[in-house]
Amino acid sequence: MNPAATDHATNAAADNVTDTAADAATDTVSTPADAAEDLERRLGPVDPADAHVRDLADEREEFPQADVDALDGIGLARHYVPVEHGGLLRDYPSTAAMIRAVAGRDLTMAIAHGKTFLGAVSVWVAGSGEQAARVAGLVSAGVPVSWGLTERGHGSDLVAGEVTAYPDGDRVRLDGEKWLINNATRGGLVTVLARSDPAGGPRGFDLYLVDRRTAGDSYRPLPKVRTLGIRGADISGFTLDGVLLDPDADRVGAPGSGLETVMRSLQLTRTLCATLSLGAADHGLAEAAHFAADRRLYGRPLLDLPAAGRTLAECYADHLLHEAFATLATRAIHTLPGELGILAPAVKYLVPVGTEQLLARLRRLLGARAWLRDVRGTEVSPGVGVFQKIERDHRIVSLFDGNTVVNLNSLVSQFPLLGRAHRRPRPAEAGLYRAADLGAPLPPADPSRLRLMPTRGAGLLHDLPAAAAQLAELAAENGRLTPIAESARSLAERTGELLEDVAEQPIVPPDVPAHAFDLARRLTWALAGAAAVRLWLDSHSHVSRTALGPESLWTDGRWLHAALDRVHTRLVAGHRPTADEERALEETYAALTGELLRQTAGHRFPSLLHTRRAEAL
Amino acid sequence: MNTSESTARPADIDEVVDWLIERVAEYREIPAADVDPEVPLAELGLDSVYVLSLCGDVEDHYGLVVEPTVAWDHPTIDALAKHLHAELTGGAS
Ligand SMILES: Cc1cc2nc3c(=O)[nH]c(=O)nc-3n(C[C@H](O)[C@H](O)[C@H](O)COP(=O)(O)OP(=O)(O)OC[C@H]3O[C@@H](n4cnc5c(N)ncnc54)[C@H](O)[C@@H]3O)c2cc1C
Repeated sequence: MNPAATDHATNAAADNVTDTAADAATDTVSTPADAAEDLERRLGPVDPADAHVRDLADEREEFPQADVDALDGIGLARHYVPVEHGGLLRDYPSTAAMIRAVAGRDLTMAIAHGKTFLGAVSVWVAGSGEQAARVAGLVSAGVPVSWGLTERGHGSDLVAGEVTAYPDGDRVRLDGEKWLINNATRGGLVTVLARSDPAGGPRGFDLYLVDRRTAGDSYRPLPKVRTLGIRGADISGFTLDGVLLDPDADRVGAPGSGLETVMRSLQLTRTLCATLSLGAADHGLAEAAHFAADRRLYGRPLLDLPAAGRTLAECYADHLLHEAFATLATRAIHTLPGELGILAPAVKYLVPVGTEQLLARLRRLLGARAWLRDVRGTEVSPGVGVFQKIERDHRIVSLFDGNTVVNLNSLVSQFPLLGRAHRRPRPAEAGLYRAADLGAPLPPADPSRLRLMPTRGAGLLHDLPAAAAQLAELAAENGRLTPIAESARSLAERTGELLEDVAEQPIVPPDVPAHAFDLARRLTWALAGAAAVRLWLDSHSHVSRTALGPESLWTDGRWLHAALDRVHTRLVAGHRPTADEERALEETYAALTGELLRQTAGHRFPSLLHTRRAEAL
Repeated sequence: MNTSESTARPADIDEVVDWLIERVAEYREIPAADVDPEVPLAELGLDSVYVLSLCGDVEDHYGLVVEPTVAWDHPTIDALAKHLHAELTGGAS
């Protein structure tokens, strides 16, 4: 039985893909913003009628086939395939920027389509050349690839998995069930993590490629699961009932390497998941900014009420901080792969959770409008109908691909290394500065350089005192930087204390005490703050010179000022700026609000970098 | 950090075994005498993720960069010591 999606892909989408390949060869996509604008241009302006259709489909829990066809039509999936395997994925930040733009239109669409990257990534990380060519062909032709890790009885604890892959003559036989799998019903190809050693253990699992065309009826999709958000997505599962595979051609990586490959792959996917949150916040912020500017209360715009204006500005600052952190981490895939083991879980924790918090604040700002469901029925004002869907759909991002607790737990497991590295710090690697310098070209990504543990700790944290000193030097020449340098100095101090605490933690897996999770949570905010400092320091002159981003954000370190304020509120319970600090912050937040309104009115993404939506192209 | 201080050359496998026993005792905050070098590290309370940290100690102490998964491939102290010793002295493991 051939899944419908496979038929569709091999017939209809194939022509489009060829066109796109030709287009792309003539385009020289040079920055992530260019990549996003290129996608925007091809998808065209958002039609309000589409939003209405989408909303009704969501209500009926229908798969967004037209949306996904549109993405196949512009060949987006080719950006999931590395250039060395014939695709267009040259740099991860560009692919991330494209998925962000899609997520900003609709998360169901982004997740339904982008999941193929997750399904295929293990092959880029550990597969043979032949496997990569095979999977690249399917992905480029629009075949959905899914990733089967989770089981009904086992969520985060992958080594407890019960799907088996045992020898059967000269074949290997797969049996068992995976459940809560995205695209399990539509998918044409599935990567499956299966137990190959009855005793299990970290070397007791293999990763297999199951092709639906050859598996036939021994692969059976399970019924669609109804979900709170992304209601149209194909969330189901599958049973494997004696699927026979070739132990060499179909196994990804060496025998026993399944778990290791998954852990490496997760470093890439967890980093990229942040872009789904950024897209959701782009959408939510634009709705909220329109609303706050248009809605009149007590004879003036809502925005002019100080508390409302500040809420909007702080949410925007959170978003810029998330963007800075995700940007540095995504660039680090290329320049600092050895430290992705700490950056990926930190980003995957902080950006989705931070975005949930900012969406919740925007929801309160929107008031009743965020509670209404009709997108077009009442036509009251911006945000109506759409907002509740953004928030609902986004809830999945902190859950899948390693939930909140799993990511914090992963950081806790690195405490011994981090503690030791803190006591014997080494100079940060050049790759850190290259990740932070938006003007520096990225070397090709080499997934074989991903390490399961960052042996030398996190360069960002060790570099922080020096970065703060660098800001202080700049502040000596430009007084407007003084509050920012002071804030960075205090961040460095707090981070030092945090690392002392981290180093003191006893190792008691799996009985991790609640306190350790709180340390891990604060560690992620310290990392995000350090990333913001580094990014501003190493990129501000380049961004100003080349006009890559709004002057009003980059001049005098304005966005950094606000971003660090947001970090301190997470690091210290009940943090309150002094009166002097508050005066400086007020000015900064006012400048941010102005920029958010400009970006929204000019159909640009709410972002550190100029990126136009289709409406402005 | 200063490499001459941080790299050591083991005289024999037993020295590596003793050093690993100390590390595990330190991690688990238990007496070294309770650490059996023939028992899988997982049973000593270093689960599959924590055990990856050992590569950092190895790098610091012996100046030897190893894949973190070395402790998955050599899951007891005895096996790991044998492997590390061979790596350090240029022999095959
Ligand atoms: C819409 C959707 C799509 C999905 N798509 C896929 C997919 O395509 N492929 C796939 O493989 N999976 C997929 N999943 C599964 C998803 O990744 C898992 O559900 C998720 O990783 C975590 O597992 P869990 O919440 O089910 O359960 P568990 O791991 O059982 O966790 C339950 C709760 O226990 C707590 N907890 C867990 N670990 C710890 C700890 N160490 N310390 C303290 N508390 C802890 C947390 O509060 C956690 O929420 C999808 C899930 C959904 C909802």
